[in-house]
Amino acid sequence: MTLALLGSRRGAVVAIALAIVGLALPWFVYPVLAIDIVAYALFAVAFDLLLGFTGLLSFGHALFWGGAGYVATILIAKAGAPFPLAVIAALAYAAIAALVVGAIAIRRQGIYFAMITLALAQLQYFVAFQLGDWTGGENGVQVSSRGTLFGLRLDDDKAFYYAVLVVAALGVWFVVRVVRSPFGAVLGAMRENEQRAVALGFRVDRYKLVAFVLSGTLAGLAGVLFAVGNRLSGLDGVDWHTSGKVVIMTILGGIGTVFGPLVGAGIYESLDFFVSKTPIGDKTNIVMGTIFALCVLLFRRGIVGELLAIRARPKGAPPS
Amino acid sequence: MLRIVNFAHGAMFMLGAFVAYYGAQLAGLPFYGALFVAPVVVGLFGLLIEVAFLRRLYGLDPLYGLLFTFALVLVIEDAMRIAAGALGSPYSPPPSLTGATNLGFTLFPTYRLFVIAAAIVICAVVWYVLERTPVGARIRAATEAPVLVRALGIDTQRLVSITFAVGVALAALAGVLAAPNQNVEPTMGDKIIINTFAIVVIGGLGSIGGSVITGFAIGLLQTLGAVIFPAFNDTLIFLLMIVVLLIRPSGLFGSPASAK
Amino acid sequence: MRLSRSLPAALAIALLSASFVAPPARAADSGPVKIAVITDMSGVYASLAGAGAVEATKMAVEDFGGKVLGRPIEVEAIDHRNNGPDAAIKAREAYDGGADLALDMTNSAVALAVAAVAKEKHKLAIVTGGASSAVTGANCNRYTYHYAYDTYALAASTGSNIAAQSNGKTWYALVANYAFGQQMLADFGAAIERKGGKVQKADLYPFGTTTDFSSYLLAAKNSGAQVLGLFNAGADTVNSMKQAKQFGVDKVMKIAVGLLFLSDVDALPDVFAGSRITTSWYWNYDKEARAWADKYAKRMHGLRPTDIQASDYSAATQWLNAVKAVGTTDADKVQQYLDGRQFNDFYARGGEWRARDHRVLHEMYVVDVLPKEQVKEPHAWFKVVQVIPPGRAFRPESQSTCKKDW
Repeated sequence: MTLALLGSRRGAVVAIALAIVGLALPWFVYPVLAIDIVAYALFAVAFDLLLGFTGLLSFGHALFWGGAGYVATILIAKAGAPFPLAVIAALAYAAIAALVVGAIAIRRQGIYFAMITLALAQLQYFVAFQLGDWTGGENGVQVSSRGTLFGLRLDDDKAFYYAVLVVAALGVWFVVRVVRSPFGAVLGAMRENEQRAVALGFRVDRYKLVAFVLSGTLAGLAGVLFAVGNRLSGLDGVDWHTSGKVVIMTILGGIGTVFGPLVGAGIYESLDFFVSKTPIGDKTNIVMGTIFALCVLLFRRGIVGELLAIRARPKGAPPS
Repeated sequence: MLRIVNFAHGAMFMLGAFVAYYGAQLAGLPFYGALFVAPVVVGLFGLLIEVAFLRRLYGLDPLYGLLFTFALVLVIEDAMRIAAGALGSPYSPPPSLTGATNLGFTLFPTYRLFVIAAAIVICAVVWYVLERTPVGARIRAATEAPVLVRALGIDTQRLVSITFAVGVALAALAGVLAAPNQNVEPTMGDKIIINTFAIVVIGGLGSIGGSVITGFAIGLLQTLGAVIFPAFNDTLIFLLMIVVLLIRPSGLFGSPASAK
Repeated sequence: MRLSRSLPAALAIALLSASFVAPPARAADSGPVKIAVITDMSGVYASLAGAGAVEATKMAVEDFGGKVLGRPIEVEAIDHRNNGPDAAIKAREAYDGGADLALDMTNSAVALAVAAVAKEKHKLAIVTGGASSAVTGANCNRYTYHYAYDTYALAASTGSNIAAQSNGKTWYALVANYAFGQQMLADFGAAIERKGGKVQKADLYPFGTTTDFSSYLLAAKNSGAQVLGLFNAGADTVNSMKQAKQFGVDKVMKIAVGLLFLSDVDALPDVFAGSRITTSWYWNYDKEARAWADKYAKRMHGLRPTDIQASDYSAATQWLNAVKAVGTTDADKVQQYLDGRQFNDFYARGGEWRARDHRVLHEMYVVDVLPKEQVKEPHAWFKVVQVIPPGRAFRPESQSTCKKDW
């Protein structure tokens, strides 16, 4: 359904609508918050490539998000590296980490897979904690200047936001291309019936690993944008609660709908930030947890998923 | 065993400890009483959750059960934080178990001896019930071949619900045992839940004996590791998990059939 | 049937519109003077600072007269939720929205994050609740002051006090293996050695996952050392203290708790009875302190203030005095006025805004935590055993690692 949408005119309309929201965002919300929203949106889309399109639930994606964030900020703050170099190094780290984690985790399936990713992410958490001289331990790494990119001064929050927007848009476009390619078709087949795919001769494990590496690297890219955007990276980024957060965002928006995770991320971050400023602000976890529980129980298709289902339903037919 | 990954297990552990605390505060419930009351109360709560919510998710991808119980953790922990505060509530061991016993080679807190004994007894009872009684046989059969068991006229849904509730009750019991030793606070379950997952993976899913033995072994290793190389004690359990998974994917004591 | 179709859509639309937000307002220089209290409203530090800190700041504003330079004073409460990046965003937003001062920042990571934002925005930040001495060390900057206490002060007070006695020379340290714990070990070790003592052994345990301290405590008990030093915080302190008593360690060793507050003892009195700690202020210390604590208690339903809450009142008042004296809220001018200035109030006795590294000096107090039977009135947990003068309580200027760039 989504694939058809992506190629259709309606898909283009949705994309344009999102683009308009994206361009206008820093004028409506605080620019650094806007950066956070877009970074999480890319994170969620990267995560969804694995969950929605490959059928693998990773509960340790913070490993890439936070790990890449650390690498980039450490290089900028402690080695004075220029922004592009820091990004490339961080992406390399994410890709290699994804290769290693994927190679270990893909040996198992389903819940086991999720638990392994969680455990490996925790491993990175503790290592990050121990290497306090590099990571600053619980104080994190602070970056005083983001540097420049092609002469553009990145310290201006709005300027950095637009750079982030461009990168995120490219990331999403990349995911769309992957999903609509023959490679993506195989992923879809594997997700629907793995044994059949194996019977057809596909090296299922290899496909999973490639998908995992792509997902992890993109998640790392999102993490770099977030960390440099906030001029700060810390243990939160590699904590399992962050892994859980991206799962919530994806489900909230709609698994496997490409735009769903974007919407989910936007809503989650905005809600989280603004609920925390209201009188019930100290109860944000309960609010988020309840919304999430409701989603899992009743709205498994997520917001975008539900909206798509309504549009796709022929008139008069009972809801499926 | 039920193929339910209950992320909220740690939260149930915490609730058990809090039932003991509130029981003492509000009703003067003594420790020994809490050992029975807390598992029953929290077990019933677990049953409620299973009947009202988890049941709807059985036919689906198991990931939804995982996600729901994850959401449950957020809600339960935050609710307890609002009710009891984040700092922690005091809970002391019963007067009969305070002080230390002279074991000859060292003075050891009496309460800890009790916990050790209780843990061994409880694990033995659970293992016995599951492995050596008809009820246990039915439960195991229901998880391995549910359709066949139903064809025999046994209500598998009820078995599943009861098993889940008992699992939760055991977690609560552990919480009561832990309360005198630890700070009773809403996030006390967080620390153990991930270790618990790792233990079950290492021991082998579906093998109770495996979990028990691995649990004790890891406990020993961590206590020793605390003295020998404390810095990387945390990572020990994950490194072990990776090694076990690479060499013996079904876990140390699990059967290959459960390796999926 | 229809309900189940439209409900998800309705929910979706409701959520989408709920997250559409109003643009942040901008305040002109002639608008109200704003103090942003960035504190932990709901987590582990909520009783230490939290709502009480906000209330204390409001009291300061009211007692000051509610206005300065003809402009009304507003107090904004911001929950940092113990999250560095979150706190940094909120601090940025607050400053951009017209806040002239950020206050409290109870949590070292938050304190450092907000200090960086203060430097960027050229606005003042006064850290009261954070412990890290990096605020006046490696991370010092022109616009940040460290008001209440830091790890050096704790060590120089508790450590010196105990090690000065003949039965306090040999120490066994239980250290949480992260920056705070390691810093405490370093600072305490130095303070103890200055008095002729020594840390015989230090066990650095994994921070965050350790709940069972039995192996360390048994080792400590069998070591023959005279003092057990607990260099940790929060739940770790509670657990290690509880278990230390279980193993009877308190019967053979003196227990020095590195970091403890009145609110901790309020929550768990039996656990901490008998330990010796350092605090920057105690409500029942003398008439002056008590007078303020009585005013606080009236507004907070009988609760007594912690030293951090008192420090927020004091810092806010001193800042307002400075603003009035200089005639502007401009951070550069206020900072120049404050640097080197000496002052005295119910909280900061012998106070000075040290120019070298923005460490605020004042008396510190070594206290014993009384068992319940000896407590004369609610919340009167402490007994002051030594007063440490400002000159000795804090890291000497000559040893400061601050690279002063102003």
